[in-house]
Amino acid sequence: MRLRTIVPTLALLLALGLLLALPGGGVAQPKMLKIGVSFPMTGADADSADAMLKGIQMAVEEVNQKGGAGGYKLDVVLYDSATPAAGQYDPAQAATNYRKFIADNTVVAAVGTIMSGEGKAISPILSEADMATVSPSATNPDITDPKFIAQYRPKKKPVFFRNVTTDAYQGPNMANYSYHTLKVRKVYVLDDSGAFGVGIADSFSRRAKELGMTILGRDQLNPKEADYKTILTKIKGMNPDAIYYGGVQQAAVKLARQSHEVMPKAVMLGSDGIYDLSFPEQAGKEAAEGWYATNASPEILTDPKAEEWVNKYKSKFKRDPTNYAITSYNGVLVIADAVERVAKSGKPVNRSTVREAIEKTKLNSLQGPIEYDENGDIKNRVVSVYQVKDSKFKYIGVAPQK
Amino acid sequence: MSFADVLLQQVVNGIALGMMYALLALGFTMVYGIIELINFAHFSVFMTGTFIGLLTLNLMGFTGSSQALSGLPLAGTLVLVFAVTMLATGLLGVAIERICLRPMRGLSGTAPMITTIGVSFILVNVVLIALGPQTRPFPGIIPDRRWAFGQAEVTLRQVLLGVAGLVLMLALNYLVRRTALGKAMRATAQDADAAQMMGVDVDRIVLLTFFLGSALAGAGSLFFGFYYGFTGFYIGYTTGLRAFTSAVLGGIGNIPGAVLGALVIGLIQSLGGQLLGVRWTDVVIFSILIGVLVFRPAGLFGMQTPQKA
Repeated sequence: MRLRTIVPTLALLLALGLLLALPGGGVAQPKMLKIGVSFPMTGADADSADAMLKGIQMAVEEVNQKGGAGGYKLDVVLYDSATPAAGQYDPAQAATNYRKFIADNTVVAAVGTIMSGEGKAISPILSEADMATVSPSATNPDITDPKFIAQYRPKKKPVFFRNVTTDAYQGPNMANYSYHTLKVRKVYVLDDSGAFGVGIADSFSRRAKELGMTILGRDQLNPKEADYKTILTKIKGMNPDAIYYGGVQQAAVKLARQSHEVMPKAVMLGSDGIYDLSFPEQAGKEAAEGWYATNASPEILTDPKAEEWVNKYKSKFKRDPTNYAITSYNGVLVIADAVERVAKSGKPVNRSTVREAIEKTKLNSLQGPIEYDENGDIKNRVVSVYQVKDSKFKYIGVAPQK
Repeated sequence: MSFADVLLQQVVNGIALGMMYALLALGFTMVYGIIELINFAHFSVFMTGTFIGLLTLNLMGFTGSSQALSGLPLAGTLVLVFAVTMLATGLLGVAIERICLRPMRGLSGTAPMITTIGVSFILVNVVLIALGPQTRPFPGIIPDRRWAFGQAEVTLRQVLLGVAGLVLMLALNYLVRRTALGKAMRATAQDADAAQMMGVDVDRIVLLTFFLGSALAGAGSLFFGFYYGFTGFYIGYTTGLRAFTSAVLGGIGNIPGAVLGALVIGLIQSLGGQLLGVRWTDVVIFSILIGVLVFRPAGLFGMQTPQKA
């Protein structure tokens, strides 16, 4: 056969094959909607992402067992938002993943992002597509702050909803706690140069100053640097009552190890960026002991209401849940609830209608009532404090608002 | 803690850092001395070394939560781990030379150097795929002993790093200056063709240089692991680039220069962090690199000792 005949023959065969492969035209398809999930499943934060993903899977399964949401079965599309080069989450990868969700018409909404840096990258993309995402853990206030509306949601409508409060409360409330309860008067503040870390360290410092604490200094850690002894030695020379660290795991693990060596008695304060069950193991048992952490949600795991949920999660996945596994679980419930309300109202179920319905969420959940303000932030603004004891995070109480 | 004590402590930290950079800088400088090639694969040989050391320790039954050893078991374990790691990284260096660089020998231009960058990426990605992106805790088998000077302290890890590093460097110096092998190396460095005519097996000398440089990087990688208590696939780049800067600072190709350059960089890092803030560390170090390249391309100590290798 000459080339001239091969090409049309091949084309014909291909067309035939495609026709045969098409899903049976006319046959009723089970109605299916997808929820996009872009989590850093590898890298430094893999363990906390895993705990959250399992919360999502549990919620999707439960919704489907009850017959779905508004007649639709739910399904999850999962992409990894960590890249090898970063060794942790990568905002550019998160943006790529969300573009993929948007390209797929069956994706009505997403649960995520985990990290604030990712949230900043994807919020404008979602705004253009008029699609909602429900974040289980991103706490940087800028993403939803009306001040930055041109940057993060050029189409004005809220698209970034969150089941946790923001660092406008998380950082300052930790400052309140350290001032009133731990009697910290002189503090050194560090961040890990990420969007989340810088933001929360700033908000902590602002509140600390208002309270009359002395900020001995502020420096920035490079998460890829190995040596933090230099900065720790410098801090040791200033005799601080405590060190506040704003940031996530990659730098935290090394900071914990080396601060344990340089100044073993220092009071170390962290945020939800280190509230990760693998933190004590990665940093080393003794090094992690005594670290304080916060969570931008109420403590749910030890609440008797959640006992059944926790037991089910443990027996199903053979691992311990985190509070953010519950906010992730609730993320799915928020979307399912919105889909159901849209379906009932008779409007077509698509990303715009679902996004609009999420705005009006009024849901009673394990973490308490979920309602969002006009920017997408949750109205319940509780911040909880934890401390590492015997290599586990122990709940201490709610951080004071003032 | 008084300011003087803090400064003293930073000097101690800086010297410890400098010793680690020195072990790595020696590999750059030796290879450059012999074949005038900047070997960027050296970064990754160092990084791979930390994992070889870690896996060896794991095989011997030590994990991240192991207790510190003391006395004879400690010495025995250390000697064994160092021997295995240095041998393995040395052989890795030899393999890189034999497989990737020898076919390029004699080519002018940047092709061989670009090849070493490629090899570096390959090694990083092999480690990444095989062992994952998580940072791994290093067994803390060296006890946490400290000696106080005022309020500054020197730890046993720093002392071991300093002493062992010094011993390795003196041994290298002896090898290069006092043995027949060293004479052959120096001859190759001065003029490879003439050395060949005098009966020096140049290929063997180049291989040996790669072996020695990479073995020293292996030693450096173990110091890194024990000193910082962790390793990860990404550690080669930052540490390697600073070691490279040290080698340039000392005059690339100049062995004592590399050690001095490394100590200077270590001290700049710790004292610069103290006086300016750690966020400026890389800015300062690489400004120095650029400054040296522009104003004294032969390095700070390059002029006084023209003898290469």
